[in-house]
Amino acid sequence: MMNRIGVFICHCGRNIAATVDVKSLVQEISKYPGVIHCEDYKYMCSDPGQNLIKEKIKEKNIEAVVIAACTPSLHSTTFRRAIGHVGLNPFLLEIANIREQCSWIHKDITDGTKKAGAIIRAGIEKVRLNESLMPSKFPVTKRAMVIGAGIAGIQASLDIANSGYEVVLVEKSPSIGGHMAQLSETFPTLDCSQCILTPKMVEAGHHKKIRLYTYSEIEEVSGTVGNFKVKIRKKSPSIHYDKCNGCADCVEVCPITLENEFDLGLSARKAIYRPFPQAIPNKFTIDRRSCVQCGLCIKVCEQGAIDYELRDEIIETEVGAIIIATGYELYPTEKFSEYGGGKYKDVVNGLQFERLLSASGPTQGEVRRPSDNKIPKRVAFISCVGSRDPEHHLPYCSKICCMYLLKHALLYKERVPDGEPIIFTIDIRTAGKGYEEFFIRAKENEHITYIRGKPGRIIKDGDGLVIWAEDMITQKPIKVHCDMAVLATAITPSAEVTELARRLNIHTDTAGFFSEAHPKLRPVESLVPGFFLAGCAQAPKDIPDTVAQASAAASKVLEMFSRGELQVEPFIASVDEELCAGCRLCVVSCPYDARVYDKEKGVVRVQESLCLGCGACIAACPSGATQQKNLNDQQLSRMVEVIIGC
Amino acid sequence: MAAKKSVTIEINSEIRDALIEEGARDAYKCYQCGKCSSICPWFQVGTYEFPVHRLGEETLLGLLASSEEKDELAREVDKIYRCVGCEACIDQCPLGVNIPKILRAARRILVDFGSYPETLKSVVQKLRNVANPLGESPERRGDWSSELNVPNYDSRLEYLYFSGCLPAYDVRLKKVANATVRLLQLAGVTFGILGEKENCCGEAVRRIGAEKVYQELTKRNIEVFNAVGVKKIITTSPHCYTTFKKEYPDFGGVFEVFHITQILARLIVEKKIVPQKAFKKKVVYHDPCTLGRQNSIYEEPRIVLRSIPELELVEVENFNHNLSVCCGAGSGGLWQDWQRDERIAEVRVNQLLATGAEVIAVACPYCLQMFEETIKSMGKTTPVLSVSEILYEACGEVF
Repeated sequence: MMNRIGVFICHCGRNIAATVDVKSLVQEISKYPGVIHCEDYKYMCSDPGQNLIKEKIKEKNIEAVVIAACTPSLHSTTFRRAIGHVGLNPFLLEIANIREQCSWIHKDITDGTKKAGAIIRAGIEKVRLNESLMPSKFPVTKRAMVIGAGIAGIQASLDIANSGYEVVLVEKSPSIGGHMAQLSETFPTLDCSQCILTPKMVEAGHHKKIRLYTYSEIEEVSGTVGNFKVKIRKKSPSIHYDKCNGCADCVEVCPITLENEFDLGLSARKAIYRPFPQAIPNKFTIDRRSCVQCGLCIKVCEQGAIDYELRDEIIETEVGAIIIATGYELYPTEKFSEYGGGKYKDVVNGLQFERLLSASGPTQGEVRRPSDNKIPKRVAFISCVGSRDPEHHLPYCSKICCMYLLKHALLYKERVPDGEPIIFTIDIRTAGKGYEEFFIRAKENEHITYIRGKPGRIIKDGDGLVIWAEDMITQKPIKVHCDMAVLATAITPSAEVTELARRLNIHTDTAGFFSEAHPKLRPVESLVPGFFLAGCAQAPKDIPDTVAQASAAASKVLEMFSRGELQVEPFIASVDEELCAGCRLCVVSCPYDARVYDKEKGVVRVQESLCLGCGACIAACPSGATQQKNLNDQQLSRMVEVIIGC
Repeated sequence: MAAKKSVTIEINSEIRDALIEEGARDAYKCYQCGKCSSICPWFQVGTYEFPVHRLGEETLLGLLASSEEKDELAREVDKIYRCVGCEACIDQCPLGVNIPKILRAARRILVDFGSYPETLKSVVQKLRNVANPLGESPERRGDWSSELNVPNYDSRLEYLYFSGCLPAYDVRLKKVANATVRLLQLAGVTFGILGEKENCCGEAVRRIGAEKVYQELTKRNIEVFNAVGVKKIITTSPHCYTTFKKEYPDFGGVFEVFHITQILARLIVEKKIVPQKAFKKKVVYHDPCTLGRQNSIYEEPRIVLRSIPELELVEVENFNHNLSVCCGAGSGGLWQDWQRDERIAEVRVNQLLATGAEVIAVACPYCLQMFEETIKSMGKTTPVLSVSEILYEACGEVF
């Protein structure tokens, strides 16, 4: 029992002090039983603030500390380190969260002060019964798994592999490259997307430290940070990759024709296919949903590579960290009946237009509209289709559309010099290095017309389209006749993400993107230790931001690997073997397999290296034998008692 | 010396606050994308500029109906009363800004000051005095049913059939009420009417801005409904339907409300009505704004029409379901005297006729009246029939 408790109350500038009367709290808490010192300071987390705490601990021989400040998720590590410096056990510290749980949500200073007092008293009661704890350490498996091999996954894999650690790179489609492989040129510098991507693809594909699994899915992930066990299903491509030499003879004879996903339906492919000529691995795959097993390909394949009986493989491996780089999809065009989405062939989405601009696309880079292959002389580009529409579609800004529509307009003008690009927009958002300059240059030099106003309708008119809008600058209703329209449909998480998130037990936000641990300070970590985020899996972003985030995620993984061992917070479950009846309810409730039944003694132990302190077994234990360290029933009851005022 | 004329405006916070007070709060939501302006039926009329997207901003700056100059105020009043409440803008607005409600706030202020269109004043007057917009005698409200053997509603009957004002008094629309009643009788539905105790539902007068008159009518109706123990109501008009369903609960009137097409579709699915006589015509169905867009009842009228032998149901390409275009009669539009080249109904009639349909099917008395008059004024003869009338004819009876 701690009887010399020091309490330090932070103003957090005006964040706390505006709604909590800190000075009167100091007076009140000073008199609280067991408190031998109470003091306030404007920014307790600052260097002088921390020094103040340290000095008072020494001066007054303080045994345990309560710091009333912001959420413990922000600064508990900082303060633990500070009290550790003066010889106090770091776990004899409690943070009373009087900012997020009090000052930020209240307006009235009387109420705010009253509530802050209660939160602090609860902290004092808890710390009074805290024990000195030692965090446990365990070794880390120095191998990473990266899910998704678009530019984010490739970059993260290369960064880790080039540092000398193994990477397991898993991609659902038959080739790596992701959406970036589909793009024509990239803003704002207009480098050819393939030219800057394919070298990286090759490097990833041949890297000694990267084990590449394409056409593969995550089957299962178990274990915890540092030591995950993963099962990967490598779907059968019905082709022995070691024999396939990529000659494409099989394609000629295949009788089944399907829409080519890589060209978003603007071209056809066979049931036996290679996604695109620069694919890595540069092998063929049989789409088994459509293959009729006619055997023609088997006959022509001189290598004898084709094998209809080839089964899926399950690969099991262990990794210490996982980077999620699952990318994005475009929100379905079909959802916009007002724009003839899904009905009119010449109303396309941004990626389709990329394919029309791309030298490797279905028209070899000549802009020809899908309906009749004519060169469109006037193209309308419409921004915010589905984005910024909380009422019917998605609430967020997709971030890249303003820039890529501008790029589209510019490239279109380059391909069709007498063409007329018209961009319909609500605002133009060009936040990024060189972006505004690109906008100004392109608009002026390439004669791009901007109409400020979101169209209401797109209607078919002869063999063209007519767009209805209000030009909000001239305040005139306007009808724009054009030959085709490009809808900048919103960026959404990949369709498989919901299922993957469920399987990995990782939080997603309301839109389905993976949630970062802190929007500002921990942007590449997920809320589950050991999982890191890169690229559009976390939120819509452009290539520079994606690459930056991928490298950041890789560096977080490398930080873990170079330390070699992990320290876990010691707030784990412990068992009073006297009380344990061996009922094993805890075993079933534990999500991490950390509870193990000891047959000889008839009790259930805790495997400390696996326990994450989630508390599930503690709630399940009927006898109270299982307790959480430094958060036992007695502490909880005392906290509740002081909060409700008994 | 006369003050120098200025084009500079200033924020009029007094007017803004008054508008917000009267329900224009949605103005704060608007982020000025402009999508509403080209989805508005006035865009298609093409001869009158109705700047929907500006209305939110004009509210926040306190500009709406703020002019002290007579002609300019007249133009403002005209503008504020151009909205026909079709809610096409709300249906497409990324933020769900309720423009008709913003305009209703302005209308309430104009009604309070008596500065609103004369034709509408007369309608409001009639509703206040005789509880119907036609100025007919309340005692004769039930006369339409005199030969139909319809009982007055009492709580032993399952439904109250609320005919609504136009079907009660208008010579043409009485036929709709007749067909409806006969179909319900044919299917063995037990129902009654209120006769002279029925008042206008008040939907239109509320949208004109005469809130007090609306509330009087509402309270009177709720009293009458409760007095005779009404639980379930069938309406002819989507307008009565929407106000009973969505607005009466605010005044304590909670009833189960059905539009007639919902009941008819159910009776057809349950085989209680089996149309046997062929209706060998190409029919186009017009989605009424208040039934479709505002209450998502798109399928039921189509179920009824599709059940009729040899009836060929066609759609207005690009302008059906939620993208249907208003007849122009909502929110007081029925009584407005817009110039011949400024009529929404004509736009819609042209779209309906372009399908090559021989009959226009409707499910709303306003649409029926608007289209019939418009078709006549266009020198055409295409018949406009309610879904109930077509079904009744296909059930073997002829008027």
